[in-house]
Amino acid sequence: METAENPPSAQKVAPYPLVFMRFRPAWAYIDGIREFGRFFCQTTFGTRELADRACVVLQETLENAVKYSSNSSDSELELSIESDGSSIEFSVSSLPDAAHLSSLREEMNGLSTLDPEQAYLAAFVRASNEPESSARLGLARIRYEGGVELSMQEEPGGRIRITATGKL
Amino acid sequence: MSQFTEVRVPRAETVAIVLTAPNQVKLSGTITQKDPAQDLAGFFKALHNAALADKLSEVRADVSGLTFVNSSAIRLFVDWATWVKNERGERYTLRFITSRNVTWQKTSFMALMSLAKEVLAVEHVT
Repeated sequence: METAENPPSAQKVAPYPLVFMRFRPAWAYIDGIREFGRFFCQTTFGTRELADRACVVLQETLENAVKYSSNSSDSELELSIESDGSSIEFSVSSLPDAAHLSSLREEMNGLSTLDPEQAYLAAFVRASNEPESSARLGLARIRYEGGVELSMQEEPGGRIRITATGKL
Repeated sequence: MSQFTEVRVPRAETVAIVLTAPNQVKLSGTITQKDPAQDLAGFFKALHNAALADKLSEVRADVSGLTFVNSSAIRLFVDWATWVKNERGERYTLRFITSRNVTWQKTSFMALMSLAKEVLAVEHVT
């Protein structure tokens, strides 16, 4: 029985998103959404480890989406969290500015050539060697600390969707 | 007179910073602002320079109470480790006091150690 004390299990509600949010790309929302994600994963799946992983995934994907969103009126972000009972998927859709899109493509391609730990270490080395450049630790951190694989889909109208998929 | 203890501590919204000894700084809270370098990069650099001036053999950065940070904040620790690593004269050991219970600390300080293990130490507390 579903009560406030016994939230619905992931399997009961799949394939519909467990969470779906649409909001303006504002930095001020990120902390709140991250902490909601922590609470949601802890409450629904009952593991602090997953809750911590969700925080990293949400913080870094939303930061990237907010930082590089275009100024147009249809640049709202969409966040969904889904699960089939054995894996979890976080998905963030945004409308980035054109200049960012090519560098994002390049970074996503580079990431896929290394395993998550190697890629995170390589990002630290790059940050150390390039003190004047932006950190660019975020995507590698999502994979390693978040325990997920990342993919990017380009959608009609210029929107992109970053999807992070990992085991429960 | 210790220059380290005279470094001006910045006020930041979500992180509490205290100089707790002539060679120790303690940070607690969260760091998730868009550009944490604005508040903290100059402060860390001032601590680094003061540690060199004071000829400290070790600086202790207690981050065990930092429950969550974004990657821009992790970058600040990379920068601090890099300054010590690249120091040509006498340099100090930068010892991070971390918590086993905080996930980001386990993964990020492991990576940081691989970058500059000759000048870093990581100590775990519960």
